[in-house]
Amino acid sequence: MSTYILAIETSCDETSMAIIKDGHDEIATVVLSQMDTHANYGGVVPEIASRMHIENITLVAEEVLKKANMTMDDITAIAVTYGPGLIGSLLIGLMAAKTLAFIYNKPLVPVHHIAGHIYANNLVKQLEFPLIALVISGGHTELIYMKDDYSFEKLGGTLDDAVGEAYDKVARVIGVPYPGGPLVDKLAHEGEATYDLPLPLDDDSYNFSFSGLKSAVINLVHNEKQRGREINQKDMASSFQNRVVEILTKKTLRALKEYDVHNLIVAGGVAANKGLRERLAKECSANDIHLTVPEIKYCTDNAAMIGAAGYFAYKLGRRADLSLNAKASDKLN
Amino acid sequence: MKYLFIDSATSTLVVAIIIDDKVTYIYNEEVGRDMSSDIMPIISKAFQESNIKPQELDKIFAVNGPGSFTGIRVGLTVAKVMAWSLKIPVIPISSLEVIASTPASGNNIALIDARRGFVYAGIYDENLNVVMDDKHMELAKLNIDGQIVSYDDFSGIKPDIDVLKVIKKHKDDKGVNPHKLNPKYLKLTEAEEKLNKQNDNGSK
Repeated sequence: MSTYILAIETSCDETSMAIIKDGHDEIATVVLSQMDTHANYGGVVPEIASRMHIENITLVAEEVLKKANMTMDDITAIAVTYGPGLIGSLLIGLMAAKTLAFIYNKPLVPVHHIAGHIYANNLVKQLEFPLIALVISGGHTELIYMKDDYSFEKLGGTLDDAVGEAYDKVARVIGVPYPGGPLVDKLAHEGEATYDLPLPLDDDSYNFSFSGLKSAVINLVHNEKQRGREINQKDMASSFQNRVVEILTKKTLRALKEYDVHNLIVAGGVAANKGLRERLAKECSANDIHLTVPEIKYCTDNAAMIGAAGYFAYKLGRRADLSLNAKASDKLN
Repeated sequence: MKYLFIDSATSTLVVAIIIDDKVTYIYNEEVGRDMSSDIMPIISKAFQESNIKPQELDKIFAVNGPGSFTGIRVGLTVAKVMAWSLKIPVIPISSLEVIASTPASGNNIALIDARRGFVYAGIYDENLNVVMDDKHMELAKLNIDGQIVSYDDFSGIKPDIDVLKVIKKHKDDKGVNPHKLNPKYLKLTEAEEKLNKQNDNGSK
């Protein structure tokens, strides 16, 4: 018998629900993005995000059931992102999930947001183990080793800014509007890495640090301004992206080698970055490593990935009761 | 008729089940920061002790503010999702009116602390008729002619709410579409206020 997971994700500024069959088959997904609203403020405003989530939560629920042509009776279990993320945002999805689980007496499965990003790849192709996952988004930068389904060993992570955050901040400094990441990526392709920027945290750990690189960009821009010169936006984007891609690639390849792993998956919003995709594809093919990168629509926050992860969590017997609370941060396990 | 009542706008959580005009279960206690953890187990217990299933509900009465932004959303999400999913009417109720259901011989001035000298205030007579609409205002500008009732530290009495009185008052109110049941914050977010100010200055 097939397992149908109703998944709910509201950890940041996307109100999303999906119905996923057996962890890999996407029956229906609805994503309501608030990006246009937050763009007015130059970033996600948590209180506004929470307000928009509650306004839209039942509309999204109705839409996903309609799209799937299903009712709650067809659902096996309810999976929900409990963290990490913005507490006020998480709570809307969480309360909706708990309410539905209660009314329809369905199992409630708590899903870690990062597990979701990783399992987005399972919607593309069944995960093969062991694997290394590079999770990169506006809130996360992590290297994770997985021996098997739902076993997560964090090798390292960012010590300060997440890589997507660094992109957005650098974008602002060089005059690219929010959300700057995708545009910086595009500009990087049109420019050349002519500015001298440091390779950040080039050490033996699997940790990352992007605040120094960000400061280097800010200083360069200010220095040029004081000399009465404008920076070349495209060249600066290219120089910055070059350093980011270099360090991400370097540490990821080292992890693959050290753990003798031949499967790499990339996940999270920054997985959409073309520069990084190209570089990793090249390195992986040269090193006999099988690379999986999800489609762009599965890279950004969505409930389909929570439904994919939720299926495996459900199969492993992971359950939460009605007192499940949202967590702004929590270890992936 | 079977009703569910939810008020999570202040740190005192109220969950009640009313069957044929009798309260069969009521939880009315301070839960503070654990609202999101506590509310569903309490609602589950309310149904259990009243011996009914959610599917038997005829109507939901849900407080939609004002008060703690997060608190309101926690309870209102439950009410909204339940009403939508069970296809039953939901009636929005003011948190201040609930506070004002405290026995009074004249007007009750219900207050919720909104910090920095501001309050959410509503004035209701002993039959819960509105004397002054709920608003976000400076405490100093409040014209006090009645009994102050608040969970917060104002010189007045503590609430002794009467859920049946509130429900009787609103029993025949037209329900709202659950999709459109949203919090009544009575206050913009700081980010919106700032942006509005910038836009105002820009247009001058």
